[in-house]
Amino acid sequence: MKRLFLALGFLALFLALFLMEKGAYAQDEITIGVIYPLTGGAASAGRELQMGAELAMEIANGKMPELAMDMAKEAGIKSMGGKKIKLIFKDHEGNPTLGADLAKKLILDDKVVGILGCYHSSVTKAVSAVCEQYGVPMINDSSTSPVLTRQGYKWFWRTTPHDGTFTMDLFEFLKGLSEGKAKGVKPVPKEELMNLAAACEKTEWGSAASQLLEDYAKKYGYNLKRNLLYTAKSADLSSEVRSLLAVNPDAMLFASYTSDAILMVKTLKAQKAKPKLIWGQNAGFDTPEFRSTLGEDIVGILTRTVFSPKLGEVKTISTQINELYKKKAGYDLSDASSRGFTGVQTWFHVLEKAGSTKPEDIQRAANSIEIPGEQLVVPWKGIKFATSGEEPGQNIMGSGIIGQYQKNKEGQVVLEIVYPFELSTANLIYPFPGY
Amino acid sequence: MEAIRNALDFKDLPRSEVYLSWAVALFLIIFPLLPFSSFAMATMIQFLIFAVYGMGWNTIGGYGGQVDLGKAQYVGIGAYTTTVALIRWDIPFWVSMPLGMAISVLWSFMIGYPLFKLKGHYFAIATIATSLVLKDLFEVWGFVGAARGLHISPVKYPPPDFLRLIFKEDVYYYYLLLGFFFLAVFVMNWFRHSALGYRLRCIKDNEEVAKALGINVHWAKIKTYALATAYVSAMGSVHAMYIKNIEPEDTMSLDISVLIALMAMLGGAGSLWGPIIGAAVLVPMKSYLKEWMGAKMGLIGIDLIIYGFIIMVIAAVEPKGLWGLYERWKGKRSAP
Repeated sequence: MKRLFLALGFLALFLALFLMEKGAYAQDEITIGVIYPLTGGAASAGRELQMGAELAMEIANGKMPELAMDMAKEAGIKSMGGKKIKLIFKDHEGNPTLGADLAKKLILDDKVVGILGCYHSSVTKAVSAVCEQYGVPMINDSSTSPVLTRQGYKWFWRTTPHDGTFTMDLFEFLKGLSEGKAKGVKPVPKEELMNLAAACEKTEWGSAASQLLEDYAKKYGYNLKRNLLYTAKSADLSSEVRSLLAVNPDAMLFASYTSDAILMVKTLKAQKAKPKLIWGQNAGFDTPEFRSTLGEDIVGILTRTVFSPKLGEVKTISTQINELYKKKAGYDLSDASSRGFTGVQTWFHVLEKAGSTKPEDIQRAANSIEIPGEQLVVPWKGIKFATSGEEPGQNIMGSGIIGQYQKNKEGQVVLEIVYPFELSTANLIYPFPGY
Repeated sequence: MEAIRNALDFKDLPRSEVYLSWAVALFLIIFPLLPFSSFAMATMIQFLIFAVYGMGWNTIGGYGGQVDLGKAQYVGIGAYTTTVALIRWDIPFWVSMPLGMAISVLWSFMIGYPLFKLKGHYFAIATIATSLVLKDLFEVWGFVGAARGLHISPVKYPPPDFLRLIFKEDVYYYYLLLGFFFLAVFVMNWFRHSALGYRLRCIKDNEEVAKALGINVHWAKIKTYALATAYVSAMGSVHAMYIKNIEPEDTMSLDISVLIALMAMLGGAGSLWGPIIGAAVLVPMKSYLKEWMGAKMGLIGIDLIIYGFIIMVIAAVEPKGLWGLYERWKGKRSAP
C-alpha cells in the first residue's frame, strides 16, 4: 500500500510539473515568438539575429527622436495606446521538428500574437506550416529559399529577398565584370570566368540555392562544371574541395552555414585553391565568427549580403543604427543582425497599422503596409508585400548587394561593397589573390 | 486464440505491478482532460512514440541480447512510405502504414539474414552501418525529396482528415498513439509468453545451449528482428503524419537509433516495463531540462550535460537500468 502511495505521489509530482508550464504575460505587452538557431552550427548567426531583434525592440519600446524612423518616434505602439512589444526567444538548433514544436508551444501556451524567424529555410518551412494551420501571422526575416513564398500560405510574409534575387545578382555581377563595369578592374573576357564549380549544404536552403545556380548559369551562358551538395555538420570537407578543384574552376560558389563555411575556407587554403573568384551565398560567409576566425585568409572573398557598415556612406540611418548596435554587441551590424532588426521593425509597422492583435487585422495590415526605404538599415527600396501573383507575401522592394572582404588602411578586414556597381565603395580585388 | 490469451495474461506479474500499471493506464487515458499545456502534450506524444520504439527494440535487444543500433532506418522506411504514398498517389494512412510495415519487414529479412551471422559488437556496428547507408541513399534519392525531405502542406491536406491522419490538434494524435501503445504492450506480453520469446531468452543466456536444444538460433533472431521492425515502422508512419515534415537527417539519424536503444537500456532491457519507464524518464527530462535550464535560465546546452551525467551514473550503479534498481529495492524490502 505504502508503495502505491509513493507511486501516486510521483505521478502527482509529474502532473504538477506539466501544469506549471503555462506561461502568462502582462496584458499591456504584445508578445511575438521569435525562433532562431541559438545553439548548433549556426549559433553565431542566431545570436546576431537575436541581438538585432532586441535592438529593434528597444527602439520601438523607447523614444529616440534623433532616429528618422517611425518606430523611434513614440514609445510603444501608438495605435494600441502605447503597448510595448515583448519578444520571446526560442532555440530550434537547426531542427525543423523542434522548430514546429516550439511554434505550437508559443501559439498555444504563450499565446503569442505572431511569430518571427527562423533563419534555416527548412525550419521556416515547418514553422510556417504550423502558423498556417493555426491562423497565426508569421514574418520571416532571414530565410531565402524561394519555395517558402510559393506555398500559397495566407499567414506568411517574408521581408528578405530570396535566393532567386541574390543568384541573379551574382550573374549580373559576372556579366558586368566582363563588360568592364566593376570599379578598378579592366573588362574580364567571359571565357576567363566560364567554368564554375559550386558546393551547397544539402538541406532546404542549400538544395534550392544549388538548383538556382544551375538554372542561372544556363540562362547566362556559363558552364557549371561541378555542383555538389554536402552535409553542413561534416567534420571534414577535403574530398568535397578536391572534387571541386578537379574541374579547375574559374569561380567557386558556396552556400554554407557558419561552421562549414569556416571549414570550407580552411580546406581551400590547405589545398592551395586558386580560382579567380570565390563567392558565398551569404549565411556562413557573412558572420562575425567567419571574419574573426579566418582573419586575413578571407581577403578577396565575395559574399552576397544585405548589409555592410560601408552602407553608412550612402545611408545615414545605417550608420546611426550601427553605432547603437556596436555599443550593445561590441562589433558592427552584420547581414544577420540587420535582418533580425528589420524583421522586428516590420512587425512594429504591421501592428501599428493593425491597431489590434486580432489575426485578421494583422493579416490585412501586413498585406497593405509600405515601409519607405529611408527608414531601413538595409539598402532596399522599402518593404511592401505582394498580395497576388506567384509569390504572395514576398517583399517586392528588396534587393541584395555583393560585398568583398578587403583590408583597410588600419589593417582590419572589412566588407566593401562591389555590387551594385554604382554603390561600390572600393576597387574590386580581381583575381582572388590565392593562398 | 492462445496468442490472444497470452497477450492478455498478466497473472505472472506481482499484484502491485498490475495495480500500478492500471493507475498509469488510467492516468494516460484521462491526461488530455486535464488542463495541460501544449508543451506537456507534445512531451507526452514524444513519450508514447519512444515507448513503442523502445518496446520494439526490447524484443531483439532486451530479450534477445542483440544490441541493435540501427532502428532509425525502420523509422525512416515507415515515415517515408506513408508520406510518399500520400504525396505521390494520395494513398491514405491506414493503407500506407501496413504497407510501410511490410516493406520494413521485408528489408529486415534481407539485411537480417547476413547481419545475424555476426555477434556482439560486430552486430551492433553492422546495424549502425546499414542504417547510415540507407540514410545516405535517401539523401540523394530525388523521388523521396533527397536531403530536403518531404513536406505535407496544410493547404493541400486540410485538417481534420481521419483517413490521411491529418489533424490540427495534438489530442487526436495522442489518443491514436495511446491505442498503439496499449496494443504494443499486449503484443509485448504475448511475445514474453510465446515460444519465440522463450527461445530468444535461451539464446541470450547461452547460444550454444540453445543450439544444442534444437533451436534454430539464426531464424529465431531474424523473426524477432522482424517483429521489432514492425513496431518501429508503424510508429515511424504515425510520427511522419504528426510532424508533417520529414527529412533523412531528422528521421533517420544515428541519434534516433541511439536514443531508442538508450531508453530501453536505461529503463531496463529485457523487462516488460523497462522501455516504458526509460521513455517516461528520458523524454520529459530531455525536454524540460532544455526548456527550463536552457531557454529560461540561459544555460544553453546544460541539458545535454545533465542528461549524459544521469545516464553515466545509472550505467555505473545498475546495468539493468531503472527496473533493475526497482527489483533490487523490492528484493531487499520484501525479504524479512
